[in-house]
Amino acid sequence: MNKRRNNIIQLAILVALAAAVALPLILPRMTEARVVATPLELSVILRDTDSSLWANARMGMEQAAAEHGVEMRFLTLTTQGDCAEQEELLRREAEGDTDMLVIAPADTQRLSRQLRELVGQRTVVSVESELEGAELSVLPDNAALGHALAQTAMEDWSGGTVLLLNTAPESAGVLERLEAVRQTLAGHGVPVCEKTVKISELTGALHELVQESGAVQIMAFEPAASECAAAGKESAQLSQPLYGVGSTTDIAAWLERGTICAVAAWSEYAAGYLAVEGAALTTRGETYKMEPLPFSIVRGEEIYDPDNQKLLFPVTY
Amino acid sequence: MSIQMVISLSFTAVAVVCLVFMGLSLSLRFTANTEKLVEDSSQRVISQVNLNLDSYLRRMMRVSNTMYYRVVKDADIAEDSLTEGMNLLYEENRDALVSVAVFDSSGNLISAVPLSTLKEAAVPEESAWFRAAMEKMENLHFSTPHIQNLFDDPDYRYRWVVSLSRHVQLTRGGATESGVLLVDMSFYGIEQVCRDVELSNGGYLYLIDGSGELIYHPRQQLIYAGLLEENNLIAATYRDGTHQESFQGKSRQVTVKTVGYTGWKLVGVVPAESLAENSQQMLLFGLSLLLFVVFLMAYLNFRISAHISDPIRSLEHAIKELEAGCEDVEIEEKGCYEVQRLGHSIRSMVSTMRHLMEDIIEQEEQKRRSELEVLQSQINPHFLYNTLDSVIWMTEAGRHEEAIQMVTSLARLFRISLSRGKSVIPLSSELEHARYYMNIQQIRYKNKFSVQINALPGTEGLYTLKLVVQPILENAIYHGLSSAEDDGLITVTARREEDDLVIEVADNGMGMRPEVADSLLDEDRPDVRTSGSGIGVRNVHRRIRLTFGERYGLSIHSEPDVGTRVEIRLPALDETQAERYQRGGGA
Repeated sequence: MNKRRNNIIQLAILVALAAAVALPLILPRMTEARVVATPLELSVILRDTDSSLWANARMGMEQAAAEHGVEMRFLTLTTQGDCAEQEELLRREAEGDTDMLVIAPADTQRLSRQLRELVGQRTVVSVESELEGAELSVLPDNAALGHALAQTAMEDWSGGTVLLLNTAPESAGVLERLEAVRQTLAGHGVPVCEKTVKISELTGALHELVQESGAVQIMAFEPAASECAAAGKESAQLSQPLYGVGSTTDIAAWLERGTICAVAAWSEYAAGYLAVEGAALTTRGETYKMEPLPFSIVRGEEIYDPDNQKLLFPVTY
Repeated sequence: MSIQMVISLSFTAVAVVCLVFMGLSLSLRFTANTEKLVEDSSQRVISQVNLNLDSYLRRMMRVSNTMYYRVVKDADIAEDSLTEGMNLLYEENRDALVSVAVFDSSGNLISAVPLSTLKEAAVPEESAWFRAAMEKMENLHFSTPHIQNLFDDPDYRYRWVVSLSRHVQLTRGGATESGVLLVDMSFYGIEQVCRDVELSNGGYLYLIDGSGELIYHPRQQLIYAGLLEENNLIAATYRDGTHQESFQGKSRQVTVKTVGYTGWKLVGVVPAESLAENSQQMLLFGLSLLLFVVFLMAYLNFRISAHISDPIRSLEHAIKELEAGCEDVEIEEKGCYEVQRLGHSIRSMVSTMRHLMEDIIEQEEQKRRSELEVLQSQINPHFLYNTLDSVIWMTEAGRHEEAIQMVTSLARLFRISLSRGKSVIPLSSELEHARYYMNIQQIRYKNKFSVQINALPGTEGLYTLKLVVQPILENAIYHGLSSAEDDGLITVTARREEDDLVIEVADNGMGMRPEVADSLLDEDRPDVRTSGSGIGVRNVHRRIRLTFGERYGLSIHSEPDVGTRVEIRLPALDETQAERYQRGGGA
């Protein structure tokens, strides 16, 4: 009896001994397995043809991609705001091995309807416009931004019509800004004239639009429109103050030269970083809460204020 | 609990306590060492970066010095152009420079390379670098990073620079005046020095000026974009060395080193959680090792304790078998020395016990045999038959008086023989018993011998073993006097010799050779009860020695034709001692 009990005790001790030997061999591998995460594939699909408009955002995206183990593809359209082309790109990327998508929607409503059909269950993060069906949206409060821009324009307004350039009638984000401006100006009795125009035609058409509307101020609501309007204003030597949106280097240059009077700007770098970080963490099953991006109104004479330098000019080496 | 379990558990418990104590000590030591190593490593890395940064800044200062002493100082700006010399120096250092410019004390541009036209909105005299140079003329001043916004760039490039400004003496038309020399260092140069510097355990390094303004940070743009915060303003208050700080709820080890001349500070940050992560891994490893050693110890202790306790168990088992009455029990002498000795002692003890038991059994046997002999002597049928036959014969012969005397003596003889079952009786009774016996024998042998029985003074009240005299008398009659003439004499004398009682039975019979007399008490002599065998005498001798010890018993002295004297030596017992012997307790 005693001998049998002793044998059982010895066996139990030997099993525990084996477990103690195995433990230090297994546990480090388990922790290593936790640490090494599989890289994720990300496709960024814009609604613009000019990727330089997204240069600052791209820097932020690349920073986030490096930190979160993401391999990124950056895709632009051949035609500005071509929804069909954007859908085709989305379908192609979804059929490939991409894990998640960051989209600047060309046509928000249309894309919302077809989003899941196009991309399946892949994580989608929208920028610029709120996109129904997307897991996250990275954008400023467009209505508040429009309101603030209108307030700035009103500070300089001394009577006359304000020309509102609608360059992206299918982009909900752009329209939201425009609508907020219209409401604010109308609320203060400022007459407005909205003109819908393609980005590609804006530079050449601006003079005519201004003359048609008799505008004393011009307002654009997306970076591409702001740049084209500034170029059109300069080429037509228009004196009407131009108010725009965006923080590209070209816009900063227009601001400095006084072609653009003021812009509503947010950190494109932050937008790009948050979009990729949000997409990566959501794909990996983590909860990610997105707040509206803070924005500020920058006048031409203020671009070298320390805070505005940090906003408009990302640190490059 | 078994001895094996006690030894095993005790050893294991002690080992575990020792191991835990050692483990904790080593763990604490390891943690302290790790922190110290990380601290040392951070300090080494930061010192190296500091050297590189210092070297870079000295190079920039050399550029500024060269620009001043070789190009600006000796030139008369009213007549000479500075551009050529400045261009030359710029080209030599264009990897590190963005622009070089000389301003007069009013902020008017004297000369600049590579861009030479000020922006319309530029107001150099209001810039911090300009004011610093004009206020502290003897120093070189390094600004915090900012966008170079002085010169018209046809490409609209906006570059981050660190401005190095100094007060210079300008010569204009032979007269000297104050001015400012500006060297805009490319931010790239500082970034090159600080980038890819990794501290231990995922730590990083950043650079601040004396007021805590960020100059370089590996995630600088995230901080500028408001997505990240750094504890730079607090870090600016730290002295050189290593500090522990808590920022955003996380503990960090911060190492600070001030960069010479500029007052900038290099700050190395190592998150404490990464140290803790290392410690956790070590703890896990240590725990596993501890478990391994504990279980190994437990196993070895179990085996060692089994080795120690098995011989003890074997002994215990053997003793249990002995208790159960087994006779062929093997007591092994194995195991440790002490256990071997214990086994040996038990074996010796068992052997001694066995011998003692055998002795006791032997003694009991002898006692029983002796008592049987007494009984036999009490009812000797021949004696009874002869006596009764004599009584019949005397009655038929009309010798009624003698017959009565014989019967009376026989009755008293038996009464004393019984003595209510007592084995120790008064000496007087024993002598009376001898007298009655001799009365009978005298009648039977027609007074062929006479008897004298005396108890000398000092023997009053003494006690003796029962029926020790009668067998001697019987022997004296049968072997000493039966064939003698009418002058036979048997004397029985009791006397006290110190603590002994001596009863001497002497006859003047035919006697025997001394060697024959000696052989009468020989234990090896066969117990054959025949006349002349002396078995009655030997029984008396044996009984006395069994009862009182070896010192007592009979001694026989005899000479042929002279007679025989038998000395019965007994302890002189009073009534109390006799009572004790009666109960079997001895003296």
